[in-house]
Amino acid sequence: MMTALAKWHKYRAVGVISVKQQLKYRVDFLMRALMLLFLMFIFIHLWSAAYASGGARAIEGFTLRQIIWYLVFAEAVTMACPWLCVRIENEVKQGEIAVRLIRPVSYAGFHYMTYMGEAALRFVVQLAAGSLIAWACVGPPAFGRGWAGFIALLPGAVTLMFLLNLSVALLAFWIEETRGLEFVLQKLNFTAGGMLLPLELMPDRLERICSWLPFRAVLYFPARMGTAFDGGMFRVFLLAQWGWIAALALVCMFIYRRGVRKLNVNGG
Amino acid sequence: MSTAVSLTGGRGEWLRRASGVARYVLTCWKLNLAAAMEYRLSFFMLAGMMFVNNAIWLVFWAVFFHRFPAVNGWELRDVMLLWGISAGGFGWANVLFGNFTRIASIVANGELDVFLTQPKPLLINVLVSGMSLTAIGDFLFGVVIYALVGEHTLIGAAKYALGLAISGLLFLFVTLAAGTLAFFFGHAEGVALQLFNALVSFSTYPADIFKGTVRIVLFTVLPAGFISYAPIGLLRRFDASFVWFAAAAVAAFGLLAVFLFHAGLRRYTSGNRIAMRG
Repeated sequence: MMTALAKWHKYRAVGVISVKQQLKYRVDFLMRALMLLFLMFIFIHLWSAAYASGGARAIEGFTLRQIIWYLVFAEAVTMACPWLCVRIENEVKQGEIAVRLIRPVSYAGFHYMTYMGEAALRFVVQLAAGSLIAWACVGPPAFGRGWAGFIALLPGAVTLMFLLNLSVALLAFWIEETRGLEFVLQKLNFTAGGMLLPLELMPDRLERICSWLPFRAVLYFPARMGTAFDGGMFRVFLLAQWGWIAALALVCMFIYRRGVRKLNVNGG
Repeated sequence: MSTAVSLTGGRGEWLRRASGVARYVLTCWKLNLAAAMEYRLSFFMLAGMMFVNNAIWLVFWAVFFHRFPAVNGWELRDVMLLWGISAGGFGWANVLFGNFTRIASIVANGELDVFLTQPKPLLINVLVSGMSLTAIGDFLFGVVIYALVGEHTLIGAAKYALGLAISGLLFLFVTLAAGTLAFFFGHAEGVALQLFNALVSFSTYPADIFKGTVRIVLFTVLPAGFISYAPIGLLRRFDASFVWFAAAAVAAFGLLAVFLFHAGLRRYTSGNRIAMRG
């Protein structure tokens, strides 16, 4: 019991240090918030033009206001998540990983807590920036219990995003460059994950394919619950999300164990 | 008579120097490519993944236009060509002049010192000394898009090539102008990056979704409109006034970027950074 508690304190400390570190980069926060404002500005124009051309008030149950707030939630989660591949790739290339591996902290656990610490703080800033522009353009959100659904699915969403990124980042043990794969993973989250549009708006066949992939549990689940809450669906989403987390954690563990045996480091 | 001789001599000297610079630029490009090919797997991974990355964006647009077949007159083919021009233009500019996205950090970190010691035109030397590997994927993507949905006639190919030229030069000059802010404000990498991101973002969405003031901004201060309107104003129907304005914008931003670079250079102070170029 004491050992578990001590371990928890150790990892919590990593997370707290990560948050404190992030607080020093105020300009970076501002820049990221600006980027989200740019993107939301474009999306608001795009979807307004699309709804105007279609003539319908609601499409697959989504009004323009719901779509915009859906995008705010999905974008805030996306932009809150740090780039992991570059970090791990550099650790491998520069030999820093040698020092990291001999520390009495799990390699993945260390990166997970750092990732969560960074993402938590960034998320608050991104959500504030996105809300600002959405509120001004389409009005305030009125989603009742949706907020609770969104917040409940959020930790799982960021955890799953971390695991997806980690599974690609760990390939740095074998290959020189993982950034390209990370770009592709990011775009899969944008499309199959439902960041750019809710999955209901996709053609049926594509929607069915996406429902078998883990990406929708990262962005679609929380954003969908945030804007159109449904109690029954929420339970399914929560279960599916943690199911994917368990599966991907096993995949990452497998890749890590294979990779770390193969790793030869000179430096650090 | 003596004036004529001196003019001829001057022109000869100018030609000799220009051909020297051209040979140097060609050598830089060859060396950049050779350096990239040293890490062949990384090269193909990065270029290939960027190609896939762009293709996934088109999946989004295909889904979007499946739901809304036409938005403000734009159809899926137009957006595909927009991506072809935008990614293709950015691709060639970033392959041949790969340091244009890094000017702010080069200046702020004192990396300019090593270029200043070399007997070559400074700006060209800096620009051609880098090559983006991912950008090769962008350029190839542009070519494939043209092959898939472009107009396969001589005129069609010429219009597409003109679109690529406008797009690449605008990316080059606007980003270069933004990067020169580092001469005046020190660490301006963040601002330069945001301007670059804004240019890229606005140039990959249909120009006609923007109205009023935003549209004016997109055709003046942040000239993304000259890229994002090209599928309509250049490819679908040749609008001469659009093309002339686009050419004028390219020339204006080119002059502005070169002027800012040289004005900024007078303020540049060495970082005493010791570096070598490999």
